[in-house]
Amino acid sequence: MKNHSRLLKILRKTETGEIMEDKVFDKLVTATVKELVKKYDIKYNKEDAINMDDDLADRIFEAALELNTRVGMYCISTHRRMEFTREEILDALKWAPDHVVYGAGLDQCTVRSREPESTIPVINVGSPYGTPINEEYYSKIMESYAQEPEIDTIYGGTFNEVYGVKPKTHSPWEILMTWREIELTYTAIQRANRPGLAIGTGANSVSEVGSLTTTSFGGFRQTDWHQTCFISELKTDYANLMRMTHEVKSGLIIHDFYNPIYGGLAGGSEGLALIATAGVMMLPVVYLSTTHSMAPAHPFFNSNTAPEIVWSISAAQQALTRNTHILTTVMTSPSGGPLTECLLYECAAIATMASVSGASRIDGVRSAVGVEVNHCTGLESKFNAECANAALGMSRKQANEIIKQCEERYVEFLGKQPIGKPFQEVYDLTLMEPIKEWQDMYLKVKDEVRKMGMPF
Amino acid sequence: MDKLFDNLMSFVQEGEIEASITEAKRAVEEDGIDAVEYLQSVLAPVMNNLGDQFSRMEIFLPDLMVAAEAADGIRDELMQYIEVASDAQKGKVVIGTISGDNHDIGKKMVATLLGVNGYEILDLGTDVDPMAFVNAVKRDKVDVVAMSSLLSTSMPFVSETIQYLVAMGLRDQVKVVVGGGPVNPEWAEEIGADGYGHDAKQAVDLLDRLLA
Ligand code: B12
Repeated sequence: MKNHSRLLKILRKTETGEIMEDKVFDKLVTATVKELVKKYDIKYNKEDAINMDDDLADRIFEAALELNTRVGMYCISTHRRMEFTREEILDALKWAPDHVVYGAGLDQCTVRSREPESTIPVINVGSPYGTPINEEYYSKIMESYAQEPEIDTIYGGTFNEVYGVKPKTHSPWEILMTWREIELTYTAIQRANRPGLAIGTGANSVSEVGSLTTTSFGGFRQTDWHQTCFISELKTDYANLMRMTHEVKSGLIIHDFYNPIYGGLAGGSEGLALIATAGVMMLPVVYLSTTHSMAPAHPFFNSNTAPEIVWSISAAQQALTRNTHILTTVMTSPSGGPLTECLLYECAAIATMASVSGASRIDGVRSAVGVEVNHCTGLESKFNAECANAALGMSRKQANEIIKQCEERYVEFLGKQPIGKPFQEVYDLTLMEPIKEWQDMYLKVKDEVRKMGMPF
Repeated sequence: MDKLFDNLMSFVQEGEIEASITEAKRAVEEDGIDAVEYLQSVLAPVMNNLGDQFSRMEIFLPDLMVAAEAADGIRDELMQYIEVASDAQKGKVVIGTISGDNHDIGKKMVATLLGVNGYEILDLGTDVDPMAFVNAVKRDKVDVVAMSSLLSTSMPFVSETIQYLVAMGLRDQVKVVVGGGPVNPEWAEEIGADGYGHDAKQAVDLLDRLLA
């Protein structure tokens, strides 16, 4: 990929930028976001669940470009601010990939550039997304995602304990647990009869060491995709840059993400939409990456399904997918856990919003905000994917109505930690099927969402 | 006092840090308000009010950061009118996100709200080595060690910090409080912490209780 030739330029910026305290950088972010929200007249209309205004999306894109040229990125490890010109950013975006192939053989799939209301198929990830999982259930839980035909690729959870130990990051345990992730995930895709299925790697690699060892000899494959991330707001560090450098040198597909915080340095919905756009715009510029996720978090709920965040993601996605061809992805990060209707309505809202806003890949589902041990199942990811697929080509206006109705069903539960039940209590581990109660709840909610106008 | 409350509140809300400090100084010099009285009956209620607004997400972190800066400035400025060391500072807190963990947004919110509520904050940042907390207890004579952990794989380091404090005979000198996404009250008890806070507001209540 041509954009990889920029590697040295990026790394040099981390060594030569202006030296600055991170607090000063934070203030620069806050002040500039505030100014640009006003200048570009970015306004959140509470009446709408998602953005439907193209002009606003384009203004957010312009504002984000200006933010990135005025603020840049901060490298925590070298205490330097990395600066970028408008031309540099636009050129990098021009050379960023507009499609990528994941997986091998019959399990291969292609992630494609999309735009709002596009009929081009989305790629669906099935994943517990970092949720702590006990070693004994790890493989079964991963199988529950891999076995669903709607799922095109999978990504892991984090071991709650491994080899009887509570593993520590950046230690030999991290290396061991990331290798264990490979063993158990391969078992899962074998059992699901999808040996070529692409795996998002290094869910257990909090620091760089787990990723570096398992993407070397005998570890994950080149048909998999490999993660690195920004640190909110608009920061990077050596750990992430080491991962990226290794991935570039090894010719790996890089997936990255940026999770800004609602109510954080960028303020409310408007600032969040702006900074999410700006951050994701910089991911391919800084990490030479191929797919780019955003999952803003609520400071008290930790989920991304509060209406004020759903709107921000929709606006940010549309800003990016209308103005670039980069491959954006959105993660469903609900408050609800398995065996709650709340979870399913949250999935429907986010997957529909992401699909009609032009995301190329839908990442789901980080059930119960990803912190409750074993609280994650393949069924919610299947449903998430079904909603994303059903919403292909849907108008934003229609999606808006559906999402509003879904929000009415779940908003009251946010913040009440509706975590539901763990995997082993809602799946039959021999048949590898949801228990009747969970399956019935899924069918009921699917029917309700159908009645809201979703063309399943 | 209501008028003084309104005056200060409007400056802080406008983000006018200098003007807030000038207003506090004016109240003491021109209106003849006792400095300690001002801190307790004007500054504290303004900050409490902002803290409440923040926990309802009516205002956001940047607003709170401005408020914290104004509060610090006002405290520094009014110190010249206060003779003996008063209880203007409620206690000294060393705070940080533990080893291997870069999640700092929640920790920042906790630090800011504690600062707003009259605690002196020593923020060690993120990825903080357990020994750095131990050293703060030794050298900086802090009253509280506050550790944030957002990762199940950084939580063991929190427990280690407490083990070090115990092994070095320092555990009785400080209160240890913990928080962050995967942390819960049961675990806090299991590792021998003095308390757990679910959010920034609870962190303030917790410290007020522990240091009372
Ligand atoms: C935003 C976010 C990020 C951002 C962090 C940016 C930043 N500057 O902080 C980025 C994108 C960088 C990130 C990176 C990673 N993250 Co992350 N992240 C989150 C997310 C979505 C929200 C966290 C957040 O900021 N919430 C908002 C704040 C306000 O809430 P809070 O931190 O909980 O703080 C509040 C309370 O907890 C409390 N509190 C906090 N600290 C303290 C301390 C005391 C003393 C007290 C009393 C109270 C208290 O008060 C705060 C204010 O109300 C969580 C999801 C979640 N459920 O938490 C995942 C999450 C924590 N991350 C996770 C993971 C796995 C990672 C990565 C490893 C991903 C990866 N594979 O690379 C990396 C790790 C990097 C590292 N070395 O730390 C997992 C952890 C799972 C686990 N096993 O424990 C989570 C749970 C999500 C998931 N399931 O994947 N992440």
